[in-house]
This record gives sequence, C-alpha cells and structure tokens, in this order.
Amino acid sequence: METSGAIIQAFIAPLVIGGISAVLGALISITDKIVNNYGDLVIDINSGKRELEIKGGAALLLTLAENGIFIPSACGGRGSCGACKVKVVSDIGPHLPTETPFLAKEEMADNIRLSCQVKVKENFQIEIPDSLFNVKQYEGTIERIVNLTHDIKEVYVKLPEGEEIDFVCGQYGQFEAPPYNKIKTPTQRAYSMSSAPSDKNHLEFLIRLVPGGIVTTYVHERLTEGQKINVVGPFGDFNVKDTGATMIGVAGGSGMAPFKSIFNHMTDTGEIQTREIWYFFGARTKDDLFYLDWLNELDAKYEKFHFVAALSEPQPEDDWEGETGLITEVLARYLAERVDRTQPVEGYLCGSPGMLDACMAVMRQFDMREDKIYFDKFA
Amino acid sequence: MTPVISPFSLFFASIFTGNILLANFLGMCSFISISKDLRSSNGLGFAVTVVLTVTTGVNWAVLQLLTALGLVYLRYIVFIIVIAAVVQMLEMIIDRVSQSLYMSLGIFLPLITVNCAILGVSLFMEIRDYSFWQSVVFGFGSGLGWWLSIMALSAIRKKLDKAPVPAGLKGPGITVITIGFMAMAFIGFSGMLQVQ
Amino acid sequence: MKMSPEYTKAQANMQPGVITSDGFLGNDERPIVEIIADDEAEMKRASLEFDETVALMRHLLNESRKGLGEPVTVDGKWIVQAFEARGFLASPFEDGIFRKINAKVTLIHEGEPTEHSILYSDLSLHLIEKRHFFQGKGGSFRISPAAIKRVLFAD
Repeated sequence: METSGAIIQAFIAPLVIGGISAVLGALISITDKIVNNYGDLVIDINSGKRELEIKGGAALLLTLAENGIFIPSACGGRGSCGACKVKVVSDIGPHLPTETPFLAKEEMADNIRLSCQVKVKENFQIEIPDSLFNVKQYEGTIERIVNLTHDIKEVYVKLPEGEEIDFVCGQYGQFEAPPYNKIKTPTQRAYSMSSAPSDKNHLEFLIRLVPGGIVTTYVHERLTEGQKINVVGPFGDFNVKDTGATMIGVAGGSGMAPFKSIFNHMTDTGEIQTREIWYFFGARTKDDLFYLDWLNELDAKYEKFHFVAALSEPQPEDDWEGETGLITEVLARYLAERVDRTQPVEGYLCGSPGMLDACMAVMRQFDMREDKIYFDKFA
Repeated sequence: MTPVISPFSLFFASIFTGNILLANFLGMCSFISISKDLRSSNGLGFAVTVVLTVTTGVNWAVLQLLTALGLVYLRYIVFIIVIAAVVQMLEMIIDRVSQSLYMSLGIFLPLITVNCAILGVSLFMEIRDYSFWQSVVFGFGSGLGWWLSIMALSAIRKKLDKAPVPAGLKGPGITVITIGFMAMAFIGFSGMLQVQ
Repeated sequence: MKMSPEYTKAQANMQPGVITSDGFLGNDERPIVEIIADDEAEMKRASLEFDETVALMRHLLNESRKGLGEPVTVDGKWIVQAFEARGFLASPFEDGIFRKINAKVTLIHEGEPTEHSILYSDLSLHLIEKRHFFQGKGGSFRISPAAIKRVLFAD
C-alpha cells in the first residue's frame, strides 16, 4: 500500500504542476489575444491620398513596408541611423527615449517620429513625401560585378522579368545583404544608382569597401554573379535641376555613381551638348581613378563638358600630368580662373559628409548660393 | 489556525508596521535601482501592487488545492510559476496601455518575477494561515507599502542629488544609508499594531 | 567576476543586433571587465600610455578627415583613410552618441604601405579613452595593444 501511494504521488505532482502551468499558459495566450489585438486599423497617408487597412501591433516602418510603402532607413529599423523619420499628425503620445537622440527640438515640436520605434496601436494619420509611393522592393539578380579599383566594385543588377523601375538620375536604392557570419538579420544600405534611367530593367551601383562595413564587406567578399538580391528604391531628392545653369559636379570614390547616371542620361537627351558642365573627380593615386577613358572621351567630344581629375598624392610611377592636390584646392583654382562665373552656377556634390562640407565651404567662398548647391549625403 | 485580525487592520498593518520593504527588507534590488527616477518609481510601485494583489489571491487558491492533494511541498515552484505568468500578462497590458512607462521600466518589469517581495508575501500568507480575504488585503496592503516606500525614497534621492554627498558614498552607498534611516522611522509605527 | 549594473548593461548593449549588427564583442565570451583588465595589463607590458595613445589616434582620425574620403599620408609614417556614413551610434555605456566615422590607419615602411593596419571609429576611441575598452576578440573593431604598438609606435 505504502509503495503504491508513493507511485500515485509521483504521478500526481508533475500532473498538478503541468495542469497549473497549462491553465496559466492558456490565460497568458488569452490575454495576448485580447491585449495585442489592435483590430483592423487605418493608416491615412497625406490626408487621404492613400489609406492602408492594416493589422495593428507592429512598428510603423514595418507595417508600411508590408504594404509596399518603403520609408528610407539606413539601419533597417534598428533605431541607430535616425533616417526613417515620418510626420505623425495624429496624437500618439510622447516621444520614446529611443527616438529622442535623433530628433531636433523643432522636429519634436513638429510631431516627427522615428517610424521604426513607433508601434501602430490606433488609427494613424501620417505625412510622407509623395515620391515614396513610387518605392518598391525588387528581387534582382546580380548580372555582372566589375572591379573598378582595388576597393570599388560596379554591381549590375537585373530586375525580375517584366518589372520596371522609374527613377531620376541622382536617386538611390537600398541594397540588402542577407545574413552572414555573426550577422543574423538582413542588412540594408543605401547606394546611388549609377545606371541611366532609360535602362528600366536594370540597376547599377558603385560600392566601395568600408572596413568593418556589413553590406560593403558582403558585396566585396561574398557576392557572386547570378545571385538573387533584394533592392528597394528609388529614394532621394538629389537630382539635376532643369535650369540650364552651369553645372559644377564634384565627387570622390563611389560618389561617381550619380554622375555616371547623369552624364549618360544627358548624352541620351543631348543636354550634354548645350549645358556647360564641369566635373571634378578626386582620388589619391592613379590606381584610385576609374572610368577615365569614358570621361576623357566625353570631354574631347563635347565642347561644353569639362572633366578634371585630381590626384592628392600621385605616386612617381603614376606619371601623372593632370591636376594635383585635394579636390577642394583644385576646385578653388578652377572656380577662380577657369569657370565663367558671370553665368548662373549650380553645385552638385556627392561624397562623404566631410568632403561635402569642405566643398560647400569652397563654393560659398566663390559666392555660390547655398540654395543652389545640391547634395545627398549618401555616398 | 486563521489568525483573528480584521482585514481592515491587516491592511494598515501591512502598509506601515509590517512594511514589506522597510520592516522585512524584501524587494531591495529594484527598490534601489528604480528609485532614482520618480516617474518610473511610481510606475513600478503600481505594477508591484497589482502583481502582489493578484498573485497573493491566486496563490491562496492554489495553496488550498495543493493542501488538498497533499502536495504542499510543491508550493515554492508553483508560487513562482503563478507569479511569472501574472507578470507576463501585466507586461503585455502595460505595453498596450503606456508605451513610455513600458520603456522606462525596461528590464525591471519582467524582473518583478524574481522580486523577493512578491514571493515573500505569498510565503507569509502561507505561514500565517490567512484566509482568502486576509490574503488579498495583505497582498494589496504590502504592495501599497512598497509603492509608498519607493516613492518616499525616490523623493529623498531627488533632494540628495543636490546635496554634497562625499564622493565615495554617491549612488548606492548613500541610498542604502537613507533606506536605513527610513526603516528606523517606520519602526515608530510598530507599537501601534502588530501583523501576525 | 561580478560586474556593476552599468557594465552589465553595457555588456548587454554590446551584443550583436543591439547597437551594431555584429556587436562589440566578436567571439569573446569574457565579461567586459575582464577584457578591460587584461588589456590594461597588456598596455602596461607594452609600456604604452592611454593618454598618449588616444591623443595620437585622435590626431590621426582628424587628419584622415582632411582626405575628404580619400586616403592621406600623415607624417610620412601612416596612410590614413576616413570612412564616414550618415547617422550616429550610441555608446553601449549610454554616455553619448557618436558620428559614424571610421579611420583606417596603415603603417608605411620604406615608402610602401605594409599589411599592418588598425581600424577604429569615433566611438571606439571614446571607449578606449573613457573605459580602456578595446572591444572583444574577433570583432571587426577590436584593436589589440600589440597592434597599437606595431602600427602607431613602430620604431
């Protein structure tokens, strides 16, 4: 009798614990169903331009992306780049501690939020630039990878059969690297399109290796031709203004990308023959220069197109006879002596934030108006 | 034997004379770390009060079940499971109701699960053989006591921020000393009413 | 080793996917206080001063920015290149946010760049200066005191 009692005991104990846990588990999932069910909500974009019917509960950035509206985000929703700012018109409570480091006082007062941090829990009214409606995600195939220099690759992506992308020269796309090594989530980074807009079934990017960079390292060490890759775009408002003013373009490294697109497009339209264009490209040694033949050819063929390459540290074996010095010094020299500044002048810049600041300073020095200098800080 | 103490007296006793923090020193970790911010203290105090009230009641019922089955030795593990589940539900509700409170409580919200005060109150409830209503009132009172203490400490720490505290005592050091003084002050209540 | 809450929180923030997607710790599983203690001992053995090292690294980072994205030669001893990106990174110790700027410093030997180089960001500099933290072994931004000696204080 004693033993059978002990055996029954041995069964009852786990049964009771299991039973209690099961009841509690059921209670938790019921709570979850009730609490986390935000029901069908509506996101109203740009006062009625578009209305999304969505299920609540997820981050705004993600919810919009699931509905085909892609807010630019350089970090992919991690809350570290501060790019995915969206104006939320409806009152959704105070800014979260994860948002405040990225927002200026005026932005906070203007109800600008980081869309990756804000959860959709009620009906939302938001405002975004109209151009974002045009943004789509494409599953492209890598058609060709070319080494332009030791650290810059030209990546040519074919969009799925029958799909087309409409973009303006100077816009950028987000290129997604799949998870690899320790990196567990897909990572997106922004690169300017270097292909011409007329090539609607392809996108081309120039990607420079950034040591420690997640996507650039992936592109340089792992990406192969024929591989499938996700691209989201087009984004950005960097483009050539249709004013006919003299265009002063300055770039370094992979900042070449938008200019390649712009000049190819201008060749197609014939604008390259009528518009005065100065294009300054800076590199350290001759090994860091690329597309020289093509640009020199444009320079020789079109009277109004001037290409100036400058090396900051030419090596003896480079045999360099062109301009030397930092691109800013060369730019200053040309603005002082060569460029006709009696005509209207516009500045177009593409490069690192440091390069942009330095070039802006030079252009200001030569009385170029700040609102006539255009740039996109994405290199 | 269920003690003869009216739930009404027990309620005040558990807030003042038997304050779970200052008389029993249970639930110290979050008490010390969250009390540096008044708003979060208020939120956590509320959360602890809710969890205490609910878990003590549920644990009372569970204890009756265990006693009937002769499985009282399982009480620790079962109490913990109940507490974890209640905290989980509370977490979901707070996330829904106030995103900013949820963010400011951060890791301390799930950590209520291992807050000694919660298990302590359930175990007191068992040792002292409380009836259901006594248990619920005791849990609720203890929660209010915890809430009161953390608000008091938090307010004192706000003052302390401006006080010339010796470098070596800044932060937790002076906080623990402050708690000591508060505990002594609360001893003053103990002659009025005895919890049992 | 028992760590203060501040360091425990920092260690949690250093995991992959919290601030940066590959984290600050590489495949190092030691508590960060241990990493710091070991590296401090290492610095002593290599007879390197933190102040001096940080000052030189900051100097090189500032010089690298003058290249406007292209590499520049500094003092005839190093080739440095700055990589800037938009946005900010928060410090895992939650004591500031830092611009995303990395400098790659390569040692020059007899006029030619060598394979010895170090890579650090504005944030890594802050972590070294304020916490003596050189990041975990195996991480892309780990700089060992030995590498500092080799690249920055080569004779």
